[in-house]
Amino acid sequence: MSDSDNEYIEDHSSGDDHNLNVGGSGRAQRQKGSGRNATSKPGTRARWERALRDTNNEPNVVADDSRLAENISRRAEAQKRARIRKDTKPFQRGIIRHMVLVLDVSEMMLEKDMRPNRYRVMLRYLEEYILEFFEQNPISQITVLMMYDGRCIQLSELSGNPNDHINAIQKLRDGDGKDELPKEPKGSPSLQNALEMSRAMLYHTPKHGTREVLIILGALLTNDPGDIHKTIASCVKDKLRVSIIGIFARMKICTEIVSRTNGGDESGYGVATDDVDLRDLLMASTSPPAMRATEQEDAAANLLVMGFPSRTEEEHPSLCACHGELTRGGYICPRCKTKVCSLPQTCPSCQLTLILSTHLARSYHHLFPLRNWLEVSWDRVREMRTTQCKGCLKKFPGIPTEDDGADKMDGSSESSRYECPSCHHHFCVDCDVFCHQTLYNCPGCQSGPPAQVPASNGETTGDPMALDGAS
Amino acid sequence: MRFHIDELEVLFPYPRIYPEQYAYMSDLKKTIDRGGHCVLEMPSGTGKTISLLSLIVAYQQAQPEKRQLIYCSHLTRIGTMSEIEKALAELRSLMHYRTEQLGYQEEFRGLGLTSRKNLCLHPSVRREKDGNVVDARCRSLTAGFVKERKERGDDVELCEYHENLDKLEPHNLIPPGVWTFDDLTRYSEEQKQCPYFTARRMIAERVSKELSKDCIVVFDEAHNIDNVCIESLSIDITADSLRKASKGADNLETEITRLKETDAQKLQDEYDKLVEGLRGADEARDEDAFMSNPTLPDDLLQEAVPGNIRRAEHFIAFLKRFIEYMKTRQKVLHSFAETPPSFLTHLKELTFIERKPLRFCAERLTSLVRTLELTNIEDYRALQDIATFATLVATYDTGFELIFEPYEVEGALMANPRTHFACLDAAIAIKPVFDRFSSVIITSGTISPLEMYPRMLGFSALITESYTMSLARKSFLPLIVSKGSDQKVITSGFEKRSDPDVVRNYGALLTEFCKLTPDGIVVFFPSYLYMESTISNWQGSGILDAIWKYKLILVETPDSQETSLALETYRTACNNGRGAVLLSVARGKVSEGVDFDHQYGRTVLCIGVPFQYTESRILKARLRFMRETYHIRDQDFLSFDAMRHAAQCLGRVLRGKEDYGIMLMADKRFTKKRNQLPKWIAQALPEADINLSVDQAVAVAKAFLRDMSKPYALKLQEGVSVWDMKDLKKHQAEQQEAEIMELQEQAELQAQKERQRQRYLEEDDEFEMDVGDEDAMMQLDV
Repeated sequence: MSDSDNEYIEDHSSGDDHNLNVGGSGRAQRQKGSGRNATSKPGTRARWERALRDTNNEPNVVADDSRLAENISRRAEAQKRARIRKDTKPFQRGIIRHMVLVLDVSEMMLEKDMRPNRYRVMLRYLEEYILEFFEQNPISQITVLMMYDGRCIQLSELSGNPNDHINAIQKLRDGDGKDELPKEPKGSPSLQNALEMSRAMLYHTPKHGTREVLIILGALLTNDPGDIHKTIASCVKDKLRVSIIGIFARMKICTEIVSRTNGGDESGYGVATDDVDLRDLLMASTSPPAMRATEQEDAAANLLVMGFPSRTEEEHPSLCACHGELTRGGYICPRCKTKVCSLPQTCPSCQLTLILSTHLARSYHHLFPLRNWLEVSWDRVREMRTTQCKGCLKKFPGIPTEDDGADKMDGSSESSRYECPSCHHHFCVDCDVFCHQTLYNCPGCQSGPPAQVPASNGETTGDPMALDGAS
Repeated sequence: MRFHIDELEVLFPYPRIYPEQYAYMSDLKKTIDRGGHCVLEMPSGTGKTISLLSLIVAYQQAQPEKRQLIYCSHLTRIGTMSEIEKALAELRSLMHYRTEQLGYQEEFRGLGLTSRKNLCLHPSVRREKDGNVVDARCRSLTAGFVKERKERGDDVELCEYHENLDKLEPHNLIPPGVWTFDDLTRYSEEQKQCPYFTARRMIAERVSKELSKDCIVVFDEAHNIDNVCIESLSIDITADSLRKASKGADNLETEITRLKETDAQKLQDEYDKLVEGLRGADEARDEDAFMSNPTLPDDLLQEAVPGNIRRAEHFIAFLKRFIEYMKTRQKVLHSFAETPPSFLTHLKELTFIERKPLRFCAERLTSLVRTLELTNIEDYRALQDIATFATLVATYDTGFELIFEPYEVEGALMANPRTHFACLDAAIAIKPVFDRFSSVIITSGTISPLEMYPRMLGFSALITESYTMSLARKSFLPLIVSKGSDQKVITSGFEKRSDPDVVRNYGALLTEFCKLTPDGIVVFFPSYLYMESTISNWQGSGILDAIWKYKLILVETPDSQETSLALETYRTACNNGRGAVLLSVARGKVSEGVDFDHQYGRTVLCIGVPFQYTESRILKARLRFMRETYHIRDQDFLSFDAMRHAAQCLGRVLRGKEDYGIMLMADKRFTKKRNQLPKWIAQALPEADINLSVDQAVAVAKAFLRDMSKPYALKLQEGVSVWDMKDLKKHQAEQQEAEIMELQEQAELQAQKERQRQRYLEEDDEFEMDVGDEDAMMQLDV
């Protein structure tokens, strides 16, 4: 008995204290196993003892503070990059979008699992969402509906002016003093009514644009006057694409609506479990959807008439056609010379789509997205010998002397460098995020030749002049 | 995928396998190898059927003598054939896969048998709605004597489909292959042959002639197998059925006199045959038998029918006497119980009916009916029951009890006497199965505690095993709620159940869960009575109105039409997003046969422990019997029975790995019964979750639903709850290694002992004692 005890302690003392857990269970097993092992020779070990030794040999048990800090920073990096890591395959995307935004203003929105309640949180993010939406899709249009007490009510007309919608939402939040708008959510929502109404809203929209419905649904039920399945069928027929953001739990009917209107793809149904999640889901829907093969046939080679008005500054204020207000500046429609005060817009008198070329350019990146940058391993760093970020000239951490077998965290680079796959320049994480979310192009590719692998003798082999001449 | 279990190559028609499926197959193989019985519990929705089939088929094909498989499922679900149909479809895909993989077609037949009602093709018979009527009409069109009569030139109708069958070779009615019911009917429609008899004859042919002993019998969904056994041998006799029986006897009498005038020879032939004994009965157990006779002991078949009932008219008189005796016995004023021997003694004193002729009643009646060529057998059902009763009561001394009750329900004023002839021993009915077949496999999703079944059914199981569900994420959430938000204990115990606090807390619990659960909720009450009183209580206190806001409320009733309508509505409501709550009873139709998968049941709520009604005399008798014979304590059995029903209810909600649901048990008493739950439920129930109050349960459930709301990539399951070939190989290697280690250790231990002994001997030598004496003593020691 005592033999095996000694042996046990010896074995264990080589391990670390953090292994308490293993030790605990080992002790329990020892009591069971000691009877059998009492006669065993020191050379033979029970299986549990071997297992114990194995765990002690694992390298990652040493936890010092520097590694911890590194881990934290790397996790932060991974989080930053998580937002930009999306599919960069160039699809044909519908950049002229017609979107119906349906809000749930039913009793369930008063739940307090988000602070102060779901309703307020939703309204807060909606303003942000609408701004972001028009930032990303300047030539698209939105209308806002709400599901309130079984009915579906329109809050704002289909238009491309973000201020219209934001005003409508602010009115909903603060009340407009009249009885038309409810102060508090009430009753239960009806998805059928919402879908029917959206269908009516989108019925006259031109074929070249998308027809999208985004429903934010906090309730776990829908109280419909009729058969919702018929409504879904007619939505499919009218080529509506419905996506739903649920709150808290999944509902079967939502899965069905989304999958049927998106050709079997259920990814348009997201469920927000907290307010950050809700915001992420909302923002995710700002990038235009990929066109499906069937839709492309319809929209194959449609030309679209657009006007690119020029800005005027007048000496005397004149009335604008959109609001009927006296303004000095504005944009003149190239076809009918009507003055409007903001772009993009549809010309009030001749129905021409008026935009600026910069608007189009802003949507352009959806079609040809900047490719994702690659994580750089230490081996690659040794090869390239980069020391600073190509974008902001920030110093990178130096090459470690030996490979210490650091645990790799998914989504972040072990060397904090990110490499553009076409120009092979290295960037820091902040430049990575900035280029992908704001700039939409790569400073390395835009400025000069691709980076070259330095020769082993230290000379730079890449001769910029020669390259220029060749190109 | 193809893999080996030991030396047997198994072809599994899916590219991936669940770990528990592999374990299940390994154990099955062990059982069949060693030729024994086993009880296996595997959670529903983990592909029990396909693992079973693929292993057994692999086994069959690997063996030269080809053992047959008999697969029985859902013993109580008569009339629905979906389970068998599903199993057949699985079998077919399996055989397809085998053909593909092996490159040649194996000689294999797979057929399913269900009631005539489901299969009949006859243009007018198939339109009948009642299964019994279909059976009777079918018999009248297909019985052997009807055909004889037709040949003699009488004008009788025959079933064309059945007739065509006779033109085919009897052992080759249908080409090899796997035939689901749909396929079978379609094929038969083309060939104009009767699907029912095709399947039945093919099965009978194989099962009776080729194999008998080596058959592998599988009872799937066998959690209530003991009740099925008992019910099959229990008979209820009411005043009404006695009246019908005596009318039947009268009819028989007139038939006999009629036959005497026309064809007396026939009766004489029958008489002669009966002198020879019932050996003929063995042959006569063919398809047009009146009804299968109750399990007759072998010695009965050897004997000749006693003289006093050999003549048809004597037998009728004998029966009538017996019926009259029963009528007088039913005139009792208070209920009492009696054992079969005491019943027989009393019977003999009053009517001089001996035990021996009584034993032959059922067979004698069958023979008579065949002789008389009766076609409208429906009319004689009551008489048949009485005859069966007579046979059983005279055959078995123990394991049965007679209970006479003057009133249908306790405290009723109208006398409505009934006699229960209750079978108390489940082993009697199942014994022939265990005796005849070497491997019987009893399996279900909820069959805990496993050791109860071998005890109750009187067999010894080679392997009893319960598998857990390997899940990559916790996809179901069992919770035990024992108190309300006000910390008052909630229980459906008899003395507390109508306490306003308890009812209100149950109401609050249901309201909260209606609010947080999407789509469907199923609620199980212990009894109709309790459900009704609770609902009316809730109605008064406004709880129903609160629930109504979130869910439609639907209620199961004893009426099956109404219930199926409620179910239909429930499913619609779950499908179109309104959401619904179904209030039902733990022992009702809903708890047994209906699945609430995916959106149809996101939460199942068990209100109270579903104990049986313990005041029932039948139950009391059974409890007493089990206490005395099998040494199972009353409380143990009741608790076991309640928990298996609860588990059944809870299991309804989870049907597969991508499904998820909450299982709520709302009763204080559940806290002590955690270890009686099936292993797969119990292991997902941490100690922290067994004594929750309503608000705690709500918080836990909310967190759970939130987790579940995120779509779950199938990829994450790989290697954990789903294995592909690589994982499986790894597991097998690990297992082998463990085995080898075990062996090595054993060998080492052995060697050590040997060494020690050697040393011991050497030491002995050193001391140079009297070697001869020492050796002798050593040998004695060893």
